[in-house]
Amino acid sequence: MRNSIKVERAIKNLTQEELAEKVGVSRQTINAIELNKYIPSSVLAIKIARFFKKPVEDIFILEKND
Amino acid sequence: MKSKYLFPNKWKKIGIMILVPGIILFLLNTFLNFEIKGLEINVFSLLNPETDSNVKGNFVWLNDNLTNEIAMILFIIGGILTAFSKEKNEDEFISKIRLDSLVWATYINYILLILSVIFFYGTPFLVIINLNMFTILVLFILRFNFILFQGSKKINNEKFN
Repeated sequence: MRNSIKVERAIKNLTQEELAEKVGVSRQTINAIELNKYIPSSVLAIKIARFFKKPVEDIFILEKND
Repeated sequence: MKSKYLFPNKWKKIGIMILVPGIILFLLNTFLNFEIKGLEINVFSLLNPETDSNVKGNFVWLNDNLTNEIAMILFIIGGILTAFSKEKNEDEFISKIRLDSLVWATYINYILLILSVIFFYGTPFLVIINLNMFTILVLFILRFNFILFQGSKKINNEKFN
């Protein structure tokens, strides 16, 4: 699964830390998600999507091998 | 994702303050036979094979210096608190690192033990067993904190794009 958090963050002009604070996780978590090293739980994915006011699937995109 | 079995974050500092003197005392005691004078008291021993001391039989009282007992208890309690206190921002990703590190530490611990079984015999092996009581905790603490540290380092360089 890939995601467009970095792009969304750039649009809103937010740092990883600011986004992490808004959705209530650590900076490491946002960093690991952006680097595709960690797939967030559905709860966190929905929280992130809600924060960006977009459907979850606009931000988290399934890939062929998923 | 909340773990039921972790201690509050502030206990980590307390854990480190117990762990460090525990490790130092344990190493001094194990390798240099250091003992704190005046800690000799009568202790109750459940099993006491006659070769062990001049007091024979089981369920007996015997005199012992408590230095190594204190060192081991400090090591274990300090290690547990250091390893299993919540991080300041314990979340699902940190829980995952915690689990991965625990699995990793268990594997490495037993690989080291297997190698020790093969390459050490007699008294040196007893020393290894003595050390092996703590390696799993030490390996976990090192690996877990190293990964957390790595993650925070990358973020310091973080810029948009």
